[in-house]
Formats: sequence, C-alpha cells, structure tokens
Amino acid sequence: MSEKIYARLLRLYPSHFRAAYGDEALQLFRDRFRDEKGLFPRLRLWLDLLADLAISVPRQYRLIQPALVGASVQSGLGGMPSFFVLEDESPRPGSLFSGGLLTLLALAVFSILLNHPGSYAGGMNIDPGDMRNQSSFGEQQATHQNPSDPASAMTGAAVRSGNLDAAERRRVIEAAADILKKYYIDRDNAQKMADALLAHEKNGDDDAVTDGADFAALLTRQMRDVSPDKHLTLDYNRDPLPRHPAGQTPGDVARYRAAMKQQNCTIEKVDILPHNIGYLKLNSFPDVSICQSAAAAAMSHLNGANVVIFDLRDNRGGEPAMVSLMAAYLFDHPVYLYCPRENTTEQSWTRSPIPGNRLADKPVYTLTSARTFSGAEQFCYDLKMLKRATLVGETTGGAAHSGVFHRIDDHFGMGIPETRPINPFSKTDWAETGVEPDVKVKAADALATAEKLAGEKLPKK
Amino acid sequence: MPKRKLDPLPSAAFQILLSLAGEDLHGYGIMRQVAKQTDERMRLGPGTLYSSIQTLLEAKLVEEVDQREDAKIGHERRRYYRLTSVGRRLARSEAERLADLLRVARAKNILRGDYV
Repeated sequence: MSEKIYARLLRLYPSHFRAAYGDEALQLFRDRFRDEKGLFPRLRLWLDLLADLAISVPRQYRLIQPALVGASVQSGLGGMPSFFVLEDESPRPGSLFSGGLLTLLALAVFSILLNHPGSYAGGMNIDPGDMRNQSSFGEQQATHQNPSDPASAMTGAAVRSGNLDAAERRRVIEAAADILKKYYIDRDNAQKMADALLAHEKNGDDDAVTDGADFAALLTRQMRDVSPDKHLTLDYNRDPLPRHPAGQTPGDVARYRAAMKQQNCTIEKVDILPHNIGYLKLNSFPDVSICQSAAAAAMSHLNGANVVIFDLRDNRGGEPAMVSLMAAYLFDHPVYLYCPRENTTEQSWTRSPIPGNRLADKPVYTLTSARTFSGAEQFCYDLKMLKRATLVGETTGGAAHSGVFHRIDDHFGMGIPETRPINPFSKTDWAETGVEPDVKVKAADALATAEKLAGEKLPKK
Repeated sequence: MPKRKLDPLPSAAFQILLSLAGEDLHGYGIMRQVAKQTDERMRLGPGTLYSSIQTLLEAKLVEEVDQREDAKIGHERRRYYRLTSVGRRLARSEAERLADLLRVARAKNILRGDYV
C-alpha cells in the first residue's frame, strides 16, 4: 500500500527523471521501508519523503528550463519558428480527455461570443460577403501575380463567388477603359465607350450589381450601347484565368507537333465510299507549317472522286491558313474567304488553282453538328456563301473567336476585335448564331443523308 | 551546465562524493553512508539522491559501474556508482576549501580546538 502511494507520488517528477531513476527511487523506498520499522521510524520516513518531494520535484522542473531556453535560442538563430518536444512521454488518456473537454468548451464560448452583437457598433457584425471573401483568401494567395500587369493590383481583391464591392467594380471599370483606349480599333468609339463606363459608374448605375457574371454582362451592354459591336465583350470567369495564352511557349509548340504527328494531323479518316464518293473526316484545321503535307496527301487520295464529303461534325476549329489551304482544292481560281479573325490581305484569297487537282468542279458536301466550331464554321460559312458546298447536319456552335482576349485579372477579361475584315457576303457572321445548314438533319444522320444526296446528283450510268 | 549546477558544490553532492571515496555503492548504500558520515543529520530522500547523482554523472564526477546484487539486503540487481578521478579531485579541493574555512574560524575564535 505504502509502496503504491509512493509510486503515485513519483509521478510528480518529470518523465525523463522517472524513466532514468523511477525504479531505483522505488527500490530505495522499499529498502528504507524494510529497514525502518516501528511507528517513529516510519513517521520519520514519510516526513523525509515528503520533504524530499517538496525540494526535489521543483528542482527537477527547474532543470528543464535551460533546455527550453536553449531550444528557443536555437530556433531564433534559424529565423524559423519551430517546436521542440521536451517531454518524450505521450499524454495520458485522462489528460487527453481533459484537453478535449477544455477545447470544446472554448469553442462553444467563442461561438457564442461571435454570434453576440457586442456592445460597440459594428464590432461583431460580420457581413456574409466579407466572410466569403475571407474564405477564398487561400486561393487568391495561390495565384501568382505578375507585377508588370497594370491591373495586377486588383487581382488580390478579385472575387470569384460573386461579391463585388464598389472599389472592385471601379478597378475593373478603370482597367476596361484603359484596354479599350489602348487596343480598340476605332479610337473615337473607344474613348466614348470608356467615358460611358466611367459615367455609369459615377452615376451609381452599377451599384446594385455584386455578381461577377452580372457585372460583366452589364459592362458589355454599356459598351455596346455606344457602339453595337458584338465581338466586343467583357467576360467573367469563375475559375482563375491563365496568365499566358495557350500554345505560346516552345514547350507547347513541341507538344502540339508531337500530338499532330500522333493523330495524323487530326485526319481521322480518308476513304472512297461507294459511288466513288470521296470522304474526309477532319477533326481540326491544324497548323499548316506542321500538317501541310498530311493535308495534301489526304486531298491527293480523294483526287479521283466524283463527290467530296468533308465530315466536320467533330471539328473544333483551328488555323485560318489551313481552312484556306483545304478550300483551295475546291476552286479553279482564287476566291476571297472571309475570316473574322484576320484583316483582309492577299492571304485572304485561296491559292487556287492547285496543280494536278481535279476536285475544283466536283460537288461538295460538308457535314456539321452543334460541335462544329470556329475555324470549321469559317470553312462551312465561306463555302456556303460562295455556294460551293451543301451543308448537311445541324446548326454549328457559333464560335467566331473574332477578338483578342485581354486579361484584366484572375476573373475578368475583355474580348476586343483588333481587326475589321470585310465580310462580302453578309452584315453578320456566325458568331453566337452558328452556321445554318442547307439540309437540316441530326448530326448522326448527316453522312447517310449526304451520301444519298450525292448519289442522286451523280450521273446515271 | 553541470559545472554551474555544482558551483558552489551543494552539500548533498559533496556528501555523495565523500560517501563514494571508500568504495563503490548503490543508491541505498550511498544514502546510508551519507546518513552515517553525518550522524544521521542528512538522510537523502530518493528525489534528492538521484537528482544529485544525475548531476554528478553529467559532470563526470561519478560513473556507473556494473549492475550487481547486494547480498546483504536482497537479490535485486542494483546500479553501482564509483567516484571518478575528477570527482575525487573536486572532493579534495572542496575539503581543502572547508579546511581553510575551518582554520579561519578557529583563528577568529569562533571554533575552539587544534588547527587542522
């Protein structure tokens, strides 16, 4: 019993001391307990032990202090905060339980205090908007800011969850006005639009808008009210916008080249179908400098066909130069191709006729779907306007990509047309509306329909 | 650091060094020897004893020797401690310091008796 009591009292010592001398201390107790019998000696024994505890326990804890001081000096030298474990003993279950209980209690008290309005004005009134901004702090930190970006100062405050305050709105507007004045092709209208944006902001017309997408749409409307240019947009993107446009680095070019080689320049299929119908399934209009020979080989394969079907149902667009190269096979003289991306230059005419080519007078069908995009839509649009091809399938996606995108910050950017190409066919192109097919069928039925139409046109033998 | 802990040499540490001057002892042996050499005025408790031993070990004034049984008091194996040559020198210099003190005390007639 006495030994148990002393064993418990030994727990008052630091763990390192107990580990080193606990057993021996207990043994010494046993020795004395065995040798010192009788009431008085036992009483003296316990008084000795208690006095010993009173002196030596504080002394042992004082011995830890130099280690603590040494540790903090070391951490100071490194300049980095760090933790040192002075006790190598894991906490006892009782200690863990008490600690857990205290933590829960502290959390409960803090929660109550946070929800309490407090006695001074505004002290604890937390705007839900602010809370959302705070919650996205980490993400903002993760985005690298380019100090040379004129609008980079505002990116730290960029809002992804749709909570714009007046200062953020003003920064977006000022950046948009700068970009307009710097890049928009019509200088007069650029100044007018910039002035209009700033005037609306000053009049408080934008004050009610706190959502990023709504704000972008409002600014777009304000600009188009001045100059009805549907290629001019101010966009909001919930996910952070990339710093550099894709395909700009040598690494990207190398990857693109390797991908084109592997995918045969996205030429999925070149075939001669029954009734000598040439069929080309092309899934993009790739870079001419890489894919010119592949394109030429495909067209050469179809050179003897009576009809050509271009299957562009999975074509997501590409380079206007490749559009022009492919179209060149369908004419025996240079024709003008409208491209909203490029100014009208001598490059805007096809390099027709192509020596040895026999397709310039053959019927052409292009197959379309809602996934037919951008450069593929240019191919469809121009051939349709030139009445050179019959479009079979669905209305195309409606992506004209006619502007250059200027990044304002992580979430806002502007699409600005910096060119003004001549559209000889119509006042509008396919931007947002898509290209209407001549024969409207489901994309899945387009090939069969085109084959049937082609068969009807072929001379009966 | 141990030097600072032992400068001045605490009374308990000096008594432990003296107790080991004659032979190697285990903890309880040291305790009993100290009690004996102080006429029972100093009975080292386990905490004081082992915390002093720890300090003396760190200062290399004592060293641990093999564990063995003490047949007189039981069959448990015990850790024995031995005075090192450094410990012996320190104990001697401490004794000389006390002897000087004693001489001064006698010269001042605070303590009667022969000079040592």
